[in-house]
Amino acid sequence: MNNQLFFQLSTLGASVILLFGITLLWRKSMRSYAETFKWQSVALSLMFIVIGYLGKDPELYAVAAALFILKAIIIPNYLRRMEKRFGDDRELKPYVNVATSLVLAGLFVLLAYSVTRPLVMVSDLPTRAGMPLAMGLIFVGLFLIITRKKAMAQIISFLVMENGIALLAALGTYGTPLIVELGVFLDALMGFLVMQVFVYHIHDTFETIDVDQMNELKH
Amino acid sequence: MYFLFLILPSLLAALIAGLIRPYRAFVGFIGAFLSLISLGASLVIAAQVVSGQIPTWGFHMEWLNLEDFLRADGLSAILVVCVTVVASLALFLSPGLGRQVQNPHWGELAYKPNQLQRFHVFTNLFITSMLLAVTANNVGVMWIAIEATTIFSAIIIPLKLNKASIEASWKYILICSVGISLAFVGTVLGYFDFVSVAGRVESALNWTTLLKAAPNLHPEVMRLAFVFLLVGFGTKAGIAPLHTWKPDAYGESPAPLTALMSSALFAVAMYALLRWKAVTDVTLGLGFSNKLLIVLGLLSLFIAAFSIVLARDYKRMFAYSSIEHTGLMCLGFALGPLGTFAALLHLINHTVGKSLMFFLVDNIEHKYRSPLITNTRGLLKTMPWTGGFFAAGLMFLIGLPPGGFFISEFALFRAGFALNHPWLMGAALVLLAVVFVSFIYQINTMLYGDPDPENINTERPVEQFSWRLALLLVNIVVLVTLGLSLPAPLVALINQGVAILAR
Repeated sequence: MNNQLFFQLSTLGASVILLFGITLLWRKSMRSYAETFKWQSVALSLMFIVIGYLGKDPELYAVAAALFILKAIIIPNYLRRMEKRFGDDRELKPYVNVATSLVLAGLFVLLAYSVTRPLVMVSDLPTRAGMPLAMGLIFVGLFLIITRKKAMAQIISFLVMENGIALLAALGTYGTPLIVELGVFLDALMGFLVMQVFVYHIHDTFETIDVDQMNELKH
Repeated sequence: MYFLFLILPSLLAALIAGLIRPYRAFVGFIGAFLSLISLGASLVIAAQVVSGQIPTWGFHMEWLNLEDFLRADGLSAILVVCVTVVASLALFLSPGLGRQVQNPHWGELAYKPNQLQRFHVFTNLFITSMLLAVTANNVGVMWIAIEATTIFSAIIIPLKLNKASIEASWKYILICSVGISLAFVGTVLGYFDFVSVAGRVESALNWTTLLKAAPNLHPEVMRLAFVFLLVGFGTKAGIAPLHTWKPDAYGESPAPLTALMSSALFAVAMYALLRWKAVTDVTLGLGFSNKLLIVLGLLSLFIAAFSIVLARDYKRMFAYSSIEHTGLMCLGFALGPLGTFAALLHLINHTVGKSLMFFLVDNIEHKYRSPLITNTRGLLKTMPWTGGFFAAGLMFLIGLPPGGFFISEFALFRAGFALNHPWLMGAALVLLAVVFVSFIYQINTMLYGDPDPENINTERPVEQFSWRLALLLVNIVVLVTLGLSLPAPLVALINQGVAILAR
């Protein structure tokens, strides 16, 4: 009974988190990018709490708290400040149009199902059915990074992909060992801080955050 | 115990550089001399490994089990020595140790005190994380340290803010961060596989534990994990087709940083890949990882060879040369014990040789204003010492005796032919010939001819021999030594590395 509930909750949670990622494919304004990321992170923290409770692993509560503070409070704060500076720059014309991207997103999820088949077969955890969805989110995140033109949208896409990886670890193994988990958070924070400084540099020197305009370097 | 003397000095140097502001030359010298302690510790560790021990360091607290946290076997020992040698050289030759202070008329190359401070803080942190990456037993911690190297090095690429350096650093941090997070997916999948076999163990990500469990892991899962790891760490190592950040980043960063990135950081990324290759090969048998490495290695050689022909900027040319050597090493690691021996030797040669070239590029940049090969004529006239070293280094780099590259490339091709890969080795030889010819052509342009007075800094007289150049003799002596003989301790180390990687 308990396992049945666990199975359903984890699959539902993973679907919601994946859907947050897919909505980015048609959003335009930087504010909606930032908001989507924030709510996805909230959902991810809840997911960690659910897995911690039903999987009886109290360590995950600490991870969920760290994740919430980092990805639902600190990083969104910085994103808001960036959005105030560059809010007028909208993701109007990504390299792939919305209709095609949505079809591709569907294919990515299918691909994720076929790639993760061995994982689902090997595992006996009640959360295993969510793993293809997490892998799907990683693929969608990669696709977002490649096709977005605004530096800020690329950062948020990268953060979304990182959420996908955290979700995969949570569903597959109830999270990585604590020391690794903490190190990953530290890296994520430092990496984000450096990237956001670079966005300000890009804006100051190129007067836009459109990476399409960066074409100084050839041979 | 020696691990602390290995890792802490550079951390301390970063702290000192961060606390003392404005930047003064003595801060740089403190960092440089501290790095000698690391170098000494690395040699002690290597000596211990040669004598058959496997030094480890760790502790156990109530809630945190960090036993065997740091560990050095043959492979780690090689890498530790490579990193500390290049790090010491780079710190002694870094900006802010005298040269800039004496001559205020440097135009574009003079750094402001805050830029120098940033350089010294983050270069030392960069070195710390590389040393942690090659000594950590936990592959998760290894991943964390490698991701940290991306961040720390990206901060100093745009030391001078301009369009080109910002573009390069953005490409570098985005491509490498994305790549490296794919490597984390691979790490998670490896851990997942372990957990589904043996249950949740705190030490499951320790490489030693993984290796012990490897025969029981699921082949299908490890196959998927290795693909992610290859893409991830391959991006960081600059294996084609994931090399695109390399010429940009090498071309735009300050030359001492490029020296560190092209030699030490590259080796660290390769090391991470090799650690996982060892585990994967036990689970899957040899065929899988070797086939992938051969395909990517040949592609790297191909792309690099033709990019060198077209190169117009000499820093970018050396970046492509790095990709070429990356390709060669990938081939070597896929060619059994003989090839692995050759590739490890080649890795050492490349670390010494490529760092030499970029330290010399630093000297050239102080004299010539333009990075274009056609604007850098008459090196031998304006800078006889640098020009001479440059010519010698380049000859070694393309595999002429008596350089170490000659021996390692020869061994590599012998291994390939012995394993009956005549077509593969033939193709690689043709591509090496292309590199050879175009390098000879490019260096002719740079060494001879008359320098264009518009493009050179005429305030500096003709170059005199100095301690900066004397330091580079270290690289040249090592390269020639490796070309003429193979010292017994080195052979012992490499053989231990081969025993880990190819069984």
